[in-house]
Amino acid sequence: MQQDLSQHLSRKELQDLKNKRTGLAIFQFSWIMAFVALIAVNWQLRYQSASWPPPGVDKLGVVIPSLMTLALIISSLLVRRATRAVKTGEQSVFINRWGLALLLGVAFVVVMAWEWITIPVSGQYSTLFRLMVGFHGVHALVIGAFMAVVYRNGRAGAYDPYHFWPVEGAAGLWHFVTVAWMLFYVVLYWL
Amino acid sequence: MASISVPAGETSAPQQPRLRVSDYLRWSVDHKIIGVQYMVTSLFFFLVGGVLALTIRTELLTPQLDVLQTGQQYNTVLSMHGLIMIFLWIIPMMAGFGNYLVPLMLGAKDMAFPWLNAFAFWLIPPAGLLMLLSWFIGPPEAGWTMYPPLSTIFSGDGQVLAALGAHLLGISSILGAINFLVTIRNMRPKGMGYFQMPLFVWAMTATSILVVMATPFLAGALTLLILDKVAGTAFFDPANGGDVLLWQNIFWFYSHPAVYIMVLPGMGILSEVLSIHSRKPIFGYKMIALSSMAIGGIGFTVWAHHMFTSLQPEYRLPFMITSMIIAVPTGIKIFSWLGTIWMGKIRFTSAMLFSLGFLSMFVIGGITGVMLAVIPFNLHVHDTYFVVAHFHFVLFGGSVFAIYSGLYHWYPKITGRMMDERIGRWQFWLTYIGFLLTFFPMHFAGILGMPRRVAVYAPEFQTLNSLSSAGSAVLGFAALLLIWNMYKSLYVGSIAGANPWRALTLEWATTSPPPAHNFVGDPVPFHDPYGYGSEEATAYLDEIDQRYGKGSPAQPGSAAAPQPAGD
Repeated sequence: MQQDLSQHLSRKELQDLKNKRTGLAIFQFSWIMAFVALIAVNWQLRYQSASWPPPGVDKLGVVIPSLMTLALIISSLLVRRATRAVKTGEQSVFINRWGLALLLGVAFVVVMAWEWITIPVSGQYSTLFRLMVGFHGVHALVIGAFMAVVYRNGRAGAYDPYHFWPVEGAAGLWHFVTVAWMLFYVVLYWL
Repeated sequence: MASISVPAGETSAPQQPRLRVSDYLRWSVDHKIIGVQYMVTSLFFFLVGGVLALTIRTELLTPQLDVLQTGQQYNTVLSMHGLIMIFLWIIPMMAGFGNYLVPLMLGAKDMAFPWLNAFAFWLIPPAGLLMLLSWFIGPPEAGWTMYPPLSTIFSGDGQVLAALGAHLLGISSILGAINFLVTIRNMRPKGMGYFQMPLFVWAMTATSILVVMATPFLAGALTLLILDKVAGTAFFDPANGGDVLLWQNIFWFYSHPAVYIMVLPGMGILSEVLSIHSRKPIFGYKMIALSSMAIGGIGFTVWAHHMFTSLQPEYRLPFMITSMIIAVPTGIKIFSWLGTIWMGKIRFTSAMLFSLGFLSMFVIGGITGVMLAVIPFNLHVHDTYFVVAHFHFVLFGGSVFAIYSGLYHWYPKITGRMMDERIGRWQFWLTYIGFLLTFFPMHFAGILGMPRRVAVYAPEFQTLNSLSSAGSAVLGFAALLLIWNMYKSLYVGSIAGANPWRALTLEWATTSPPPAHNFVGDPVPFHDPYGYGSEEATAYLDEIDQRYGKGSPAQPGSAAAPQPAGD
């Protein structure tokens, strides 16, 4: 059972929690526009070149990225479950799910970094790939580091059903990473 | 009725706090200090940008080069003027008003995220420094719009620094806007729904929505520009599969909404000032509030009207239509304001004069805007002085007049002292006349074909340019009057009291300047922020006077604060 927070938190703490939730939602909504901007860049450069990818360049393979996308989605679902767990006081469920999600996140970043390094240079086609995957990767790295900090603090017992904001915040940012990637995934591999 | 006419809880009036300069020079999370930090910083950059503007006008007195040695130097002066005035003067100044006023108007103790608020401000000085330093390492020459290939090939390394500076300012804007939106959504007092908020708060809401949605595009565009300059990519280089129009699309998708980011808060200031100084309820409250949102929404669909000469013809028409539609919500505002002052007990205070000045100038700027939206006319005057005239009428005649008006209106709240009304009136008339003289002739120069961004021009335009240059000297002098007035009034201005204008919005229901946490107890808003002219309102205002004290002359015998013309 989730706890009734209004019984345990002061008026100021409740207000702060509400503010942080609203702030996070607005940030997600706002910063996704930076990813949309890069999609617009991709779109404009793609439609003014005669063929995409350029002649003589192979289209990127979809198998590995698709698996990684799946891993990212699963990790987002795990993070979701972990956040619920911390609010209901299931400490071990929280730690397990969060750790697993972190592991999948690391796998995603490592594999995509490999793809980033090994893509054959082919003008705008590979440059755009590197721009978009790199831009997304920086976000995944920073937010992943935040998740790792939450994991460490979580093992030390820093969170309970009344003090969970870092968990919820990190989860919200990780969902952002997933949604942003799904946009890029479609644009880079399927269009 | 008695319960709602009491502006604050049952506590004794607090002592008026004293302002200390040292508080403003260090990190502080108090939104009032941060607001003033924004304002003073941007006023400094206003002076820097103003000196550059006067350099431009002096150079343009004659058709040849005389003050500056080369065309490149002129390009640099012009670019710095644009970058500074937009990114370091108008946008942060409006953020300053927002920071100071939004929590007070909502009866809140501070913004939702005080630390983030301070952080957003402290990004501005280093960003400003980067912009100024760019001058010394191969200055930017591409204007504030930074079009490639001017920015990628012809500008020096300074362009990278300027872009980094703009990047920081963009992040600062986004963080500030998130803060405003959360504060406005979550921290309104009991009894204040969205449609009981002061219209300035509505304007900041619309502005902040624009900022959070559009500014990430600026971040994207600037990142690509920096990569092209330093990392060898070719996003804007057609020889390698890039596209110069890419920049224009992404940049204007931010920068056209940015035009409304710069003017909507000014319109919010106007809604407050016009109603208070003509002692009448605002006309069409909901229409003014919602038209801000409409301007914001439509503002996202007009960006390519900046590119009529470079766009494929079939794409032009929809952008012409949306650009013209913008005039509808703007017109709603203008007529609502006219309805507000109609038959009011108008007091021509300096604040009111500048707001009326905004009304007249912005109408001219708005009409030339509609003219420019017409494709054939646009093709004729594209990149001529007609465009320069248009955007100075909306940016100076609009935003800056609103800023001047807001400064005269809220200076008493911020400092506890009144500004000198006599200097204020002088400043107004000099600004008004100087402004018309500077920018009105540019319409003619533009229609006759004088291109913008040039240091050397055909001799036939010299008369018009001399008029402009003469006007700019008057305009510059008037700006100095404002600075002098603000400085002088700090020491010798008459004591303002809590509510010198007898206004109903909550920022006046506390001492001037307000204490550290703004209010003693939870303030109770008057049910209608513009309900002037009722006995209830008079009782509420008398209560504020009684509780927090009325104004008084600085020294016995000197002029008292201007008295309002009744409720």
